[in-house]
Amino acid sequence: MTIDRIRTEGEMEYRFTHPDDFRDHVRDRKGRSPVPKLVTEKEAVAAFVSDGDYIVYDFSSLTRGPQSLIREVIRQRKKELWIGAEFTLHESPLLVGAGCASRIDVGFLGYGNYIGQAVCDGRVKAYEWTNGGLALRILAGARGVPFLPTRDMLGSDNMKVSAAKTITDPYTGDPVCLVPALNPDVAFLHVHQADVFGNARIFGTNLFALEAALASFRVIVSAEEIVETDEFRKDPMRTTLPYFLVDAVVHAPFGAYPGAMPARYEIDLEHVDRLNAIRTDERMGRYLEENIYSVADHDEFLDRRVGAKRMRELRRRATIIEGYR
Amino acid sequence: MRTIEFTDTEFMIAQGARLIEDGKTIFVGWGIPQVVAMLAQKLYVPNVTQLFEFGAIGPQSVLPFVRGTMGGPQNTYRSLQWLDMNWAFSYSATGYMDYGMLGALQVDPYGNINSTHLGGTFASPMRRFAGSGGGNQVASHCWKTIIVIKHEGRRFVPKVDFLTSPGYLDGPGAREKAGLPRGTGPHRVVTSKALFGFDGETRKMTLLSVLRGISVEEVVKDMAFRPLLAPEIGEIPPPTDDELRVLREEIDPDRFIIRGEKMSATA
Repeated sequence: MTIDRIRTEGEMEYRFTHPDDFRDHVRDRKGRSPVPKLVTEKEAVAAFVSDGDYIVYDFSSLTRGPQSLIREVIRQRKKELWIGAEFTLHESPLLVGAGCASRIDVGFLGYGNYIGQAVCDGRVKAYEWTNGGLALRILAGARGVPFLPTRDMLGSDNMKVSAAKTITDPYTGDPVCLVPALNPDVAFLHVHQADVFGNARIFGTNLFALEAALASFRVIVSAEEIVETDEFRKDPMRTTLPYFLVDAVVHAPFGAYPGAMPARYEIDLEHVDRLNAIRTDERMGRYLEENIYSVADHDEFLDRRVGAKRMRELRRRATIIEGYR
Repeated sequence: MRTIEFTDTEFMIAQGARLIEDGKTIFVGWGIPQVVAMLAQKLYVPNVTQLFEFGAIGPQSVLPFVRGTMGGPQNTYRSLQWLDMNWAFSYSATGYMDYGMLGALQVDPYGNINSTHLGGTFASPMRRFAGSGGGNQVASHCWKTIIVIKHEGRRFVPKVDFLTSPGYLDGPGAREKAGLPRGTGPHRVVTSKALFGFDGETRKMTLLSVLRGISVEEVVKDMAFRPLLAPEIGEIPPPTDDELRVLREEIDPDRFIIRGEKMSATA
């Protein structure tokens, strides 16, 4: 491609890895041997998340989000994280409010005034890739190519405040948008079932679970339920991730709380309303203290802050099981 | 002559629901568009196929509406197919989505949508909002985009503060010149007082019809640009008893979504 084919270029910084550098990482650092990888949230985050990392997650704050892992990142007071944020209603405000995240690729910047104000105050930088653009970047990372073309974002202001480029398509001669591959440092995926080696199953829709696992340097799976490997071999159409993509498996019942896990438990709307009502640093501080810093881990959080009675009630409300198994 | 009482939000949702065609596909955005599609599917268009950006194809959402979320079991109930985002946008990018339906913070005469920030600059905005989500893809790919927006003058501006999702950009031919798919663009703007289309030649927003009992002047007076006027301005009946019953009793019994400014009109 000659440089004169480039028509417009976005001005913002962006995370990028040469596909060969990612392949080298996969060759040298990703294990192919099926070894047990079951660890706690604390161990997984300590071992696989570093200050400055780029993190992506799936699916949304209210449905199958990796909330126990997000809380552990906050508990371990990670710094300068860059997050790829699609259906991020609560993760962005919590990670920014706790001083963990300083850059966000948007996506959809939720939720409400707290995170909006943080952007206005310059406490966090936001770059606009759009949901489709970010998903495509991760797909490019997963396909081992440096970029992918798309026929959206074109003509919009998102082109300027990302690092997307418009080029002349060598096949049609028309303008086309290119987005660079994204290879995140870490992907968090909360799943219905996993075995100890990392084979994993999601029931229901997702954003880019397989793409994110393929594209990321390190992959942490948290699972509602740990099952035998034979379960995957009996029904391979239902496998979302094969074990060799995964670096750590955490057994995390109610790992998506206060969001829902489809067919397992419903959203805790009261808790979600408390999150949505956070407008000030003082309220944010109180929430973080009560729900994250003051408890040692996810088990203690469930035990002392949620309670068995509440969990039973949320399980009882998950009446739609058709389509999930 | 009977007087119907309703909220501006209820009217907006009801008139939006009447626009959806049966036997077509519609890419539904988060929030109010979900409710519009629910009402339409319940009352008017049983054979419409909805699509959500995370890959729910043909969902038949359970009522009442579960606010805030889109991806849960209620909203994706009895879909034809469950996939993911890259596949969802493949259906729109290849031309299978007849309609897209989106909310907006601001809209301009060419139907360009802002959902990113108000005032200031991008780097230092006065107020910051969610941004595109999948709205940019919906507005770029779908054949006809329907914008659903509260009729507040400050939302109708000569130029959007940030162009999040493309309308006709700066006029005729601009979408094609930018490389967007041929023959696509905004189709209707559904508000809490009126209905707009877009002029075939100039691509400018054109007032088509107004809620029964409201004058054209009332509709356009607080808009920050003057829309074109259709040769004959139609009259839109207020929400029907059926529309209000389904909205109030079945879709949103807690009135989280449908509350708003009180209005009335003759049935």
